[in-house]
Amino acid sequence: MIHQYRNNGYNIVMDVNSGSIHVVDDVAYDVLPLAEQLIEEGVRDADTLTAAVEVCKKLPYSREEIREAVEELLTLTREGTLFTQDLYEDYIHLFKERQTVVKALCLHIAHDCNLACRYCFAGEGEYHGKRALMSFEVGKKALDFLVANSGNRVNLEVDFFGGEPLLNWQVVKDLVAYGRSLEEPHHKKFRFTLTTNGVLLNEEILEFVNREMSNVVLSIDGRREVHDRMRPFAGGQGSYDLVVPKFLETAKSRGQKDYYVRGTFTRNNLDFSRDVLHLADLGFEQISVEPVVADPKEPYALQPEDLPVLMEEYDTLARELIKRKKEGRGFNFFHFMIDLSGGPCVAKRLSGCGSGTEYLAVTPWGDLYPCHQFVGNEDFLLGNVDEGICRQDVVEQFRKCNVYSREKCRRCFARFYCSGGCAANAYHSHGTINDVYELGCELQKKRVECAIMIKAALADEEG
Amino acid sequence: MKHIKTLVTRDLKESMKKGGCGECQTSCQSACKTSCTVGNQTCEKAR
Repeated sequence: MIHQYRNNGYNIVMDVNSGSIHVVDDVAYDVLPLAEQLIEEGVRDADTLTAAVEVCKKLPYSREEIREAVEELLTLTREGTLFTQDLYEDYIHLFKERQTVVKALCLHIAHDCNLACRYCFAGEGEYHGKRALMSFEVGKKALDFLVANSGNRVNLEVDFFGGEPLLNWQVVKDLVAYGRSLEEPHHKKFRFTLTTNGVLLNEEILEFVNREMSNVVLSIDGRREVHDRMRPFAGGQGSYDLVVPKFLETAKSRGQKDYYVRGTFTRNNLDFSRDVLHLADLGFEQISVEPVVADPKEPYALQPEDLPVLMEEYDTLARELIKRKKEGRGFNFFHFMIDLSGGPCVAKRLSGCGSGTEYLAVTPWGDLYPCHQFVGNEDFLLGNVDEGICRQDVVEQFRKCNVYSREKCRRCFARFYCSGGCAANAYHSHGTINDVYELGCELQKKRVECAIMIKAALADEEG
Repeated sequence: MKHIKTLVTRDLKESMKKGGCGECQTSCQSACKTSCTVGNQTCEKAR
């Protein structure tokens, strides 16, 4: 299977199953669709292919040009970088039977928040339940559960999440110390992440974060008016002016790495590329700004009719990113980062984020859910840190969830980049984790196309 | 080649042989908490 598209003056051909990427001229681009059909039917003769393309396509190229392009396509086919077959579906039964271990926890250290963000899927920190802080005892049991269920995996990840985790800072510090005490005896390595709105961030906390946290996620949406509209305090006043200096200090103190400023864009700021560039202009180099996930009835929810504008925004952002990189003032945009030559193995690409199997969320009182987005939905309550997993049937549903279990993914060119997408998004839009969130898919596909185009443009510069 | 420039030669199926160690980062632990982004994750063996 191939996917071909034009973007920013580049003709790009993705060989989906091998992961190879080609940049082609107009002749090869126009010859490709018919050549694919014929080559897949077994035609391997350059003369036959050339004649067929000439007759069927009425292309504005000479026979010689078409023949040259055909010969090059045949060479790549022989080399296994074009028109390759999907061999992975046969491998999926092994994948379904595999033993999974828990390797990451999202600890809901505080179901409470000092902001009242309008789009919060956690219902302003409370997850539609009661306000609560995780006790050290519950957190300790969660880390013990993680170690006990992690098999031979060495690297274990723990995200201090909320609500706002800095509302329960002492417990965060105590749990980091407890986690470190488990490392040597159990031959494990904890990688801690803190996700924070920055309101309570101070020098003491930053010093600890920089010493202990592998990653820190700083919540900010972009321009002041955009941020303050959606991320106010309970009294309505904005939080931008308070958090920006703290986040800049955090980024600087971490050497501009191992952090993300992370924003959410909504229908209120469809021109979100300006927010990304605003964050870059402030001096941040690691930026993630993502589409909101919301009930379609919410006024800020993205709608299918917004797609053309959003697509253009990604294109604008991609072009500006290339320009800035060439000028030596580039930044990383999380969703345009792509490792074409390395990156994840097939097993990872088939299994996705690991929610419900490798990755679990823990509530302040110790309940286990497939991920932070399912917290509060009793149908997905998996167990708790005292008794462990009680709903193996639900875990099984997640284990079996993969790119081939979702009908809409089977022929999608982006399936090995998004791995079937977010189970929670699928559930929220269709009531099942074995479906997809179509609007999210369209944006994801666009981001993959932009990310590859950026690579082509930067390689062009080097070449 | 005159008409085609290969940007990346990749053989994903090769990673079936030695992949799947599971030591890599969970994608939601990096920056995304609302969308699944796996393609930009780093293989732990390549770190």
